[in-house]
Parts: sequence; structure tokens; C-alpha cells
Amino acid sequence: MPALPLDEAGKYVAGAYVVFMALILIYVAIMAVKLQRIERELRELASFVEAAAGDSGAQSRHHPARPDAGARAQGSQSSSVRPSGSGGRADDV
Amino acid sequence: MSAFAAILAKDLRSELRTLRSLAAMVLFSVTTFVIFRFGLDRTSLDGSLAAGVLWVTLLFAAILGINRLFVAEREEGGFDAIRLAPIDRTALFAAKAAALFIYLAALEAVAVPVFALFFLDSAAPLAPLVAVLLLADLGLAATGALISSMAVNSRARDLLVPLVLLPLVVPLMIAATGASEPLLELGGPAYDRFGTWLAVLGLYDLVFLLVGYAVFDFLLED
Amino acid sequence: MYGKGLKPLSIATVATLAAAFSLVFFYAPLDADQGFVQKIFYVHVPLAIVALLGFVGGGVAAILHLRSGDRRWDARSYVAIHMSVIFGVAVLITGAIWAKASWGHWWVWDEPTLVSFLIVFLLYATYYPFRYAIEDPERQARYASVFAIAAGAFVPLNFMAVRLSESLVHPRVFATAEGGLPGSMMLTFLVALAGMALLWVTLVKLELTAKSASGQLSRLRRALDAPAESTRPPSRVAPEVS
Repeated sequence: MPALPLDEAGKYVAGAYVVFMALILIYVAIMAVKLQRIERELRELASFVEAAAGDSGAQSRHHPARPDAGARAQGSQSSSVRPSGSGGRADDV
Repeated sequence: MSAFAAILAKDLRSELRTLRSLAAMVLFSVTTFVIFRFGLDRTSLDGSLAAGVLWVTLLFAAILGINRLFVAEREEGGFDAIRLAPIDRTALFAAKAAALFIYLAALEAVAVPVFALFFLDSAAPLAPLVAVLLLADLGLAATGALISSMAVNSRARDLLVPLVLLPLVVPLMIAATGASEPLLELGGPAYDRFGTWLAVLGLYDLVFLLVGYAVFDFLLED
Repeated sequence: MYGKGLKPLSIATVATLAAAFSLVFFYAPLDADQGFVQKIFYVHVPLAIVALLGFVGGGVAAILHLRSGDRRWDARSYVAIHMSVIFGVAVLITGAIWAKASWGHWWVWDEPTLVSFLIVFLLYATYYPFRYAIEDPERQARYASVFAIAAGAFVPLNFMAVRLSESLVHPRVFATAEGGLPGSMMLTFLVALAGMALLWVTLVKLELTAKSASGQLSRLRRALDAPAESTRPPSRVAPEVS
């Protein structure tokens, strides 16, 4: 079959490569949304843990270490961005 | 009596008594032939058109039977019985595939002569067609039993079988129609690449019988 | 840990793909028959090969899942198939563009590889509704593995059958694959193939890492007895990774 003239052929070739790049970028966008959701969930969990530990911090002066303290100590493993207060709590309990 | 024979005999007996699947499959096929007569506006068919109408109809009729293959097991606790019994569970797969094969052969014993009556000039292609039919039935039986056993435990089971089975049997259909088309030529049956197509059918049957045999145990685990 | 090695992998992917595309446009010679349009070949065919290998890989992961009972293999199988389906979309679209440019129609039945690929794609597209239809997660994983194995066995059979069905007389559309490729084209093709393969592996790893992170979050949530997330229910189709 005869080859298309370069300007016409160029559009098809460009189209194919554009489709390829677009699909990759769409995928990256979907991953970005997932990452956002993970970040939000982590944030919620962190504030939940802070709140809960805040309560128990008040009580632990009067009571021995509570049974779910181990879980909380695990839970307060956090990224370096978090304030250092959360790292310190693990030692309290 | 081996487990395989026992299950097979039970299935055939129950089918013979009620004839629910088989009658539906036959009636469906004949009615579909009539619809094709009007849809295509043809009173005689040959070559690729004949092969297409025949095999599409048989395939869809087969799906009717495949949908119902494990219904009794599901409703009456047959799966649990097989799990508890000290037998090789793949006997269930073998028995169901064998039963399906028999139903398909029985279907074709009626539907194919009707097809010839409606659309063909001579009965000459029917003898070699039997070889194609039997090999294709084996493949349909293997994949049908496999898919049906999974679909029966799911929601929307009668949707799932056609959905998953149809792409899966495309190579089978390609080979079956490929072999049938020259057989149904106007000038009398020709055998272009007949051996090749039969070999493809045989290979398909072998692969899916093996796959079914290998994985069926995992389907019944619970 | 799924995320390990993701950084070097991504760098390798970008480097290889950039090299490949540079070769395509600055090094590879113009095809005698098809002219500039042939350049689509360097994107379309590597995507197809990698997608097919991915499907087979999904089948292998499924076998490992059934044999070991380790649910992580089910997750790998799912993501492999998922990624190959996405690559499959790219294959079909670039194939259509190539068909239109070469033959004037957006779809041609004459090209057996494209047709086979369509059938394979249609089969794997049923993977999602199939998983969705089975409610019990453990059973869903098992049945999905069976599906992946049967489908993996199906791929070579399908290609063989479609190839046999083509008329021996009718010319092939994408004739580049037939007959030897000249060395410069072959080099470009191989680099593109490597790039696509790296891309597939990187994206699969990325997805597994994201799934794993979500899974760890759920695990954490359960351990802390924290309230359930309000916005999104857990997916009924994709296996949870933890």
C-alpha cells in the first residue's frame, strides 16, 4: 500500500504516541488520587491516636499501663514530619 | 462402581427422567434455525454462512445446558457430599464433563439433521461433520464444566457463564467453523485443511481437559 | 515490602523509554513500504508483547497462589492482569490508529495478531465481573486464580487458531513483523520492548505498593479500634493486600 505523505502520516504517528503518554498520565493521576486518600486516612488515624493517647495520658498517672497500650505504641510509629510529641508518647506508656 | 460412573449415572438418569435441559436445547436450536431463515432471508445455506449459522446456534444451545449443569449439586448439597466423601474430587469434574458431552451429542443428533433438512441440499457433509462435532463437543464439555462449576457458586450465575465462556471458546469455534465451511460447500464436501483444524480442536480439548483436571480440586476446597 | 526498588526501577524505565523514543525518531530508518506510519510499530508491538507476557505472568502467579495458599500471590496475579488489560487498551487503540493510517479503516480483520489480541482482551475483561460475582473473598481469590490459569492456557491456543484462520492469499497489513527486520530497526524495537517491559513492572510495583499501603492502614485501623473510614467502602473486586 502507498505510504502516506509525511504531514498526514505524522498526525497518525503523533496520535499513537500521544495516546500512549495519555494513558500513562491518566494512570499516574489515578495513583495520585489513591495517595491522597492514603494521606488523609493516615492523618485521621494520627489525630485519633493523639486524641486517645491524650486521654490515657491523663489517666496513666493513676492507673497502671493499659492493655491496649501496646497497640498505641505501635500506632504512633510516624513519619518524620509529625511533631515529636507523638514519638515521646510511646515512652510514657 | 467408581465415583465417576456413579455421578455420571445419577446425572443421566435424572436428565432422562425430566428431560429438562435436553428438550430446551433442542427446541431452542430448531427455533433459532427458523429465525435465521427469516433473518438472513435465505432458504438454503452453504459454505461459511451454513457453518456460521450451525455453530452459533449449537454454541448458544450448549450454554443453556451448561448453565444448568451444576444446579442440582448446589441445591441439594452435592458439593458438600463430594467434599466429605473419600474419593478423588476430580471425579466430579470428569463426570460432569462426560454428562455435558453426552447432552451435546444428543442435541446434535437431532439438531444437525434438522439443519440439513432446512438448509442443505444433500446429506453428504453430515458424515465427516460428525468428527468435527465430536471433537468440538469435547472441548465445550471441558470448558463448560469448568466455568459452570465456578459460576454456580456466584451471584448472577446465568450471566456469568455466557460472559466468560464465549471468549474462552473462540478458538474452538474458529477451528470448528474452519473445518465445517469446506464441508458445506455447494459443490460437495471439500477437505481444505481438515486435518489441521481437527488437530487444533484436539489440542484445545487436551489443554482444557488437563486444566480442568488440574484445578478442580481447588474449586471444591472450603 | 513492595515499594523497595521502586526508585531505581522508575529511573531505569524513564531512561530506557526516552532512549527508545529517541532511537525511533532520530535513528531508525524510514520503512520502504509504509513510510513514516511504520513508526507506530515501535509503540504498538512492544505494548502487545508485554501485555501478553503479563497475562501469562498473572497465570503463573495464580498457580503459585493455589499451591501456596498465600494471598499475596493472588494480589500479584490480580495486579498483573489489571495492568495487562490497561496495556491492552493501549494496544488496541494504537493498533486502530495504525490500521487507519495503513489501510484506511479503524479496524481490520486481516491482521491476525490484532484480532487475537482483541479476543484475549475480551476474555480478560470478564475477569472483573467474574471476581465481583463471587462474594466470599477467599473463594473469590481461588476462583480468580483458576480463571487466570485457564485464560493463560488460552492465550497461545487463541493465537494459533486465529493465525490459521487467516486467508493464505490475503496480504498482511502490518508486514513489518514478517521477514527480517534490518539491524537498526531491530535495535530500536528491542530497546522499546525493554522500555515497555520496565514500564509494566514499575507500574505493577507501584500499584502493589499503593494497595499494600492501604492494606496496612486498614490493619492499623483495626488494631487501634479506630472508627471505619466514612467515605469509601472496601473494594469487592480487588484483593486486599496486607
